Amino acid sequence: MTRESVVIQTIVQIADNLVDDYDLIDVLTVLVQRCTETIGVDAAGVMLATPGGDLQFIASSSESMRVLELFQIQAAEGPCVDCVRSGTPIVNRALTEDDTRWPRFSPRAMTQGFRAVHCLPMRLRGTTIGALNLFRTHEGPLGSDDIVVAQGLADVATIAILQHQTSLSAGLLNSQLTNALNSRVIIEQAKGMIRQALSCEMSEAFDLLRTFSRDHNEKLTGVATRVVEGELTPDELRVRPRPRH
Amino acid sequence: MNADRLADIFTLMERLDRHGSREPSLCHVAVELTGLDGAGVSLTPSPDVMTILCSHGPAARLLLGAEMTLGEGPALHASRTGASVVESDLRHPSRPLWAPYASEALALGVRAAFAFPVRIGAIRFGALSLFRGTPGELSDDTTSDSQIMASVVARAVLSMEAGAPPDDLLSELRGPFGLDFRVHQAAGMLAVQASMPVRDALVTLRAHSYANGIELTTLAKNVIARRASIDQKTGAWIDTGAKPQ
Repeated sequence: MTRESVVIQTIVQIADNLVDDYDLIDVLTVLVQRCTETIGVDAAGVMLATPGGDLQFIASSSESMRVLELFQIQAAEGPCVDCVRSGTPIVNRALTEDDTRWPRFSPRAMTQGFRAVHCLPMRLRGTTIGALNLFRTHEGPLGSDDIVVAQGLADVATIAILQHQTSLSAGLLNSQLTNALNSRVIIEQAKGMIRQALSCEMSEAFDLLRTFSRDHNEKLTGVATRVVEGELTPDELRVRPRPRH
Repeated sequence: MNADRLADIFTLMERLDRHGSREPSLCHVAVELTGLDGAGVSLTPSPDVMTILCSHGPAARLLLGAEMTLGEGPALHASRTGASVVESDLRHPSRPLWAPYASEALALGVRAAFAFPVRIGAIRFGALSLFRGTPGELSDDTTSDSQIMASVVARAVLSMEAGAPPDDLLSELRGPFGLDFRVHQAAGMLAVQASMPVRDALVTLRAHSYANGIELTTLAKNVIARRASIDQKTGAWIDTGAKPQ
């Protein structure tokens, strides 16, 4: 497939997801996964600014990415922190062991195998509500086309958070962000239960939730809520429906 | 984002706590923050049990008491469903079932009632109720403030249930807006280990962290790495004491 058709397919798939009553976490997870396929990056993640002013992780393409996102939150330094603070993109930033700008973040990211970072702001009418992080395991610049696509995907992520609201006051935006963050917490609670019950990794626990959500056409957050409330057991998540003929 | 609103909440708490009341100042803060006439925090340890944690304003405690007796109303609905309730004119309650509640409210001089779930992920501790003597919707900004306040209340309830000294509450709440995601995963794991609801598991995790002076995130990491667990039979903690990096 040509590069253009991959990009088009990605946009179509995400747009398709945004038509009905969608699950935000699910859409953002698709988005970060597609980032790794369409742009030359190895890991991608979305962080949102909370009503408290700090950042919270909301979606990531891999566990190592997720650990780094959490590390940026804890250390209060890193590309995403700077990008959200300034509202401007960070592009083609190579990591070094003796990084003076991010003395704790850079060596940590390098031990995970990352060599370069990019971060694109998610902006809404003058407010930066979060950022799309893109990490690469090899040096060398992203092409200008890639950067355009990446900013486009960051804008799509912003639109996803609007959840069909055509006009959005600051108050309503805060409500959406609060709900989005709470959805992520529900998913993490369910993942812990699944990990314990099935002795699996957190990433497998998440995959089980997503697969069940797809198979049963049920929202991801809804499935996770049912697990936490004990209506759905982790064992039941493993049962795949029989294909219809 | 609304970092300043969260700061406002803590400044108000600090000021009001200095007056020496033992009752948590949360409801007083909610009234000051939103500019409404009354507020109350109710806890629902099980769907049919409701207790009042605190109230502020002349009618708040009486009206929450009436709701407990009736077994129906905005606070119970928000606690049970996890959705916010807006009753902008109680002369015309939105649900026929709430007619008795509405007449109690009107008799107490309350014309509008609002309730926001006090939740952490899928855990619903109860609700934050707000009351006003005049009819009308809440502005988007006031709705957002109420949700931020409900998040602060949720973390305060968690700390109180886990046995935090009341004097430490404010410094405890002054951390980041939300808990580290690993805390939620660990709560999910403990819930399965000890066959308890995730709500109780989160409180147990917090309590163990207080009682032993272990930082909450460190304890959560230990649980996820299976260095700390709860014995299903005895309910006792099994802590190998190993410290993660």
